[in-house]
Amino acid sequence: MFKFLIRISSFLTKELTEIFRQPKLILTLILGPFLIMFLFGLAYPDQNRSLRTTFVSANPSAFQEEMNIFTEAYSSTVVDQGIETDKALALSKLALDETDLVIAIPEAPFETIQQNQQAVLEVYHNEVDPFQIGYIQTIANIYVNEVNRRILQSVTEQGQADSGSLQSSLEDAITKAQALKQAIPPGDPNTAAQVEALEQDLTTAHENLTTFRSLSSGVLVNPFGVNIKGLSDIQFNVTDFFAPSVIALLLQHLSITFASLSIVRESRSGIMELFRVAPITAFETLIGKFVSYLFFEIILAGVITALAILVLRIPILGPWQDYALAVFILLFTSLGVGFLISLISETDTQAVQYSMLLLLASIFFSGFFLDLRLMWEPIKVLAWSLPATYGIRMFQDIMLRGAAIPTQLFQGIALIGVALFLIDWFLLRRRMEG
Amino acid sequence: MNTKKNNSTAENVVETQDLTKTFGDEIAVQSLNIQVPRGTVFGFIGPSGCGKTTTVRLLTGFYEPTSGTARVLGKDPVTFSKSDREKIGYLIQQFVLYPELTVWENLNFAASFYGVSPFRRKQLHKLLDFVELAEDTNKLARDLSGGMKRRLSLAATLVHNPQLLFLDEPTAGIDPILRRKFWDYFKDLQNEGHTLFVTTQYVGEAAYCDLVGVMYEGKLLMVETPSGLRKQAYGGDVIAIQTTEGLRFEQRKQVESLPFVHGKVQIISDQEVDVIVDDASTAIPALLEWAQDQKLNVETIEQKFLPFDDVFVKIIERETAHV
Repeated sequence: MFKFLIRISSFLTKELTEIFRQPKLILTLILGPFLIMFLFGLAYPDQNRSLRTTFVSANPSAFQEEMNIFTEAYSSTVVDQGIETDKALALSKLALDETDLVIAIPEAPFETIQQNQQAVLEVYHNEVDPFQIGYIQTIANIYVNEVNRRILQSVTEQGQADSGSLQSSLEDAITKAQALKQAIPPGDPNTAAQVEALEQDLTTAHENLTTFRSLSSGVLVNPFGVNIKGLSDIQFNVTDFFAPSVIALLLQHLSITFASLSIVRESRSGIMELFRVAPITAFETLIGKFVSYLFFEIILAGVITALAILVLRIPILGPWQDYALAVFILLFTSLGVGFLISLISETDTQAVQYSMLLLLASIFFSGFFLDLRLMWEPIKVLAWSLPATYGIRMFQDIMLRGAAIPTQLFQGIALIGVALFLIDWFLLRRRMEG
Repeated sequence: MNTKKNNSTAENVVETQDLTKTFGDEIAVQSLNIQVPRGTVFGFIGPSGCGKTTTVRLLTGFYEPTSGTARVLGKDPVTFSKSDREKIGYLIQQFVLYPELTVWENLNFAASFYGVSPFRRKQLHKLLDFVELAEDTNKLARDLSGGMKRRLSLAATLVHNPQLLFLDEPTAGIDPILRRKFWDYFKDLQNEGHTLFVTTQYVGEAAYCDLVGVMYEGKLLMVETPSGLRKQAYGGDVIAIQTTEGLRFEQRKQVESLPFVHGKVQIISDQEVDVIVDDASTAIPALLEWAQDQKLNVETIEQKFLPFDDVFVKIIERETAHV
C-alpha cells in the first residue's frame, strides 16, 4: 500500500510541476474564463435588439398618428425611420442594410375591412438567422396585435359614447312600462304578467348597458393581462444565466485538453515502454494522473468561482458543498473523456482535434445556447453523453435556483465517469501490460 | 543432468532457449540461445536492425516470444511480478524522460514510480555524483546536452538499485570520450555486483565486455570472450613478425608447416608477415626458436590485436560465406 502511494505520488509531483512551470498557462487558465464571462456580460446587456423600421403607406398622413403611438409604445424594440410612399425604395433601403424592417400598410385598409376581409400588413426583413427571423415574427405579431387592439379600443369608445342615447331611451321605456303596469285593470292578470316581464327585460338591458358604459375601453378590449413570476425573487441578467454554463463548459474543456494530451504524449516519447517494464501498473498510473489533474483543476475551479462571485457578482444560492460535489464529478468525468481520447489517439494533433470536436459538440448539444427540451429526442442521447450537459444543469440548479445537487443528474454523470474510468483502465492496461 | 541444469539456472541471470520473435512474416529474432552469468558485462553487438532491441524487449517482458523460452532472474519475463520488475533496470535507446522537468525532478519521478522510499535524498545525490550531474540538478532536461541526457537516463535506470541492467545502446550517438566514460561507469557497476546486458552497434566496445554475443540479421552468430571473438574470426591468435631480411618463399612454407600454425602466412610487407597460431603465448617462443635456427634477425614479434571492427567484418564474412 505504501509503495502504491509512492508510485501514484510520482505523477502528482510530475504533472503539477510541469503545469506550475508554465505561469503563463496558469494565468491564461484563470484569467481566460473570467475575462470571457466579463466580456460576455458587457457584450450582451439586458436589452432587446432595436429594429430600424420604415413604414410604407400610399397615404402617410392618414396613419401617422397610429405609427407614432406604436413606435412610442415600443421604443425599446422599434426605431422609427419614417414613412415612405414608395415601397420599392423602402425595400432597396432594406437590401442596403439601411433599415431592418419594412412594414407596408395596405392601400385602403378600412374599406377592405368593411368588405369583410382582413387588411394584411406586409412585413419585410433581410435576415438569415432563424432566431432573428423568429424575433421579427414576434415583433410583427406584437405590432399587428397592437394595431388591432387600438382599433378595437377606438371602436369600443365610440360604441360607449353612442350608447348614451340608447340608455336614455331605455330609461324612458322602463318608466312607460311602469305606467302601463299601473293602468292595467286588476281583472286582467295575463296582461299584467306580460307588462311585468317587459319591464324586467328593459331593466336588465339598462343594467348591462350601464355596466358596458362604466367599463374602461382598455379593459374591454384586453380583459386578461399576464404577470410572469419566477420561484426566486432574484432577477437574473444574461451574465448570471450564462455563468454556470460557461464554468461547466470551461471545466470540461480544460480537463479534456489536459488529459487528452497526457498519455498520447508519453506514448510518443517512448516512456510508456519504460512503464511497461517498471513495477508500476496501469491502475497506479491512471490513479496518479487522475489525482494530479483533479488536484490542480479543483484549485482552478475554486479560483474561477471566487472571481465570478466576487467580481462578477454571480450568485450561488444553493449549498456550497453541493456545488463542490458537482465540480468534482464534472472534472472526474471530463478527465475520463480526456484520457479516453488520449488512449485512442495516435498523435498530439489527433488528440487536439478530438478535444475541439467535443467542445463544438458541447456548445451545440449541451444546452449551452439552446434549450434541451427543444431537441429532437434521439439526439438527446448524444446530449446526455456529454459531461457538460450534466454540469450546466447541476450548476444552474445549485447556483441560480438555490437547489441541492439534483440526484438523478449526479447519478447519471457519476455512472458515465465510472464507466469511462474502467474503459480507460482497460485500454491503458492493454497498452502498458500487453 | 537435472542438477547441472539447476546449477546453471542459479548462476545465469539470463537464459534463453530457441527464443524467437516474428512480426508477421518478418523474423526479428531467430532461435536465440544465450546464458548470461551473474556479475558479468554481456555485450550484445550487431548492426542496426539486427534484433538487439527486440531481444532486450523479450528479456524485459515487453514482448511475448513467438516461440522458445526466456528465463530472467529465474522467471519468465512475461509473468514478471512487481517485485521481479524491481530487480531490473532498463535504459531505453532514446531519451524518454520529461524535458520540462529538471534533472532532480526527473530522477525523483523515476524513483517514485519504482517505489523507492521517500527518504531517498542522499541516495539520489550519490547517483548524480556517480553520473557526474551533481552540479546540474536544477537544469531542465531540455537544456541538457546529448551526453548529459544519457547520463541522466542512466541515473534514472539505477535509481532503484536493480540487480540486472538492460542497457539498450547506451553509447549511441555520443562522442568517444564520453563513450569511454560510460564503460567506466559500467565497470564500476559490475564491481558493485550488478549484471549488465549492454547492446551496442559500436563493435569496438566488445573489448570492454566479459562476454560478447554477435547478432546478425536476427541470428546469434556466436557468444565469446573478446579474445575468443578474435580467435573465432581468424581461426586463432594473429602474430606479427618483422625481420631485417624478410622471409623467403621456402621459409614461409616452413612456418606454415609448423604444427601450431594455421593457414598460410600473410605477407604484410617485404619485412613483415602475419601468422595465425593456436595460442600466441606458446607460439611466440617457438617461432623465435625457429627463427634462430634459420639465422633470421627478428626485429619484432608480437601478438596482433586487430580492431574489433575488422573482427566483426571477418565474422560476418565467414557467416555469409557459410550461407
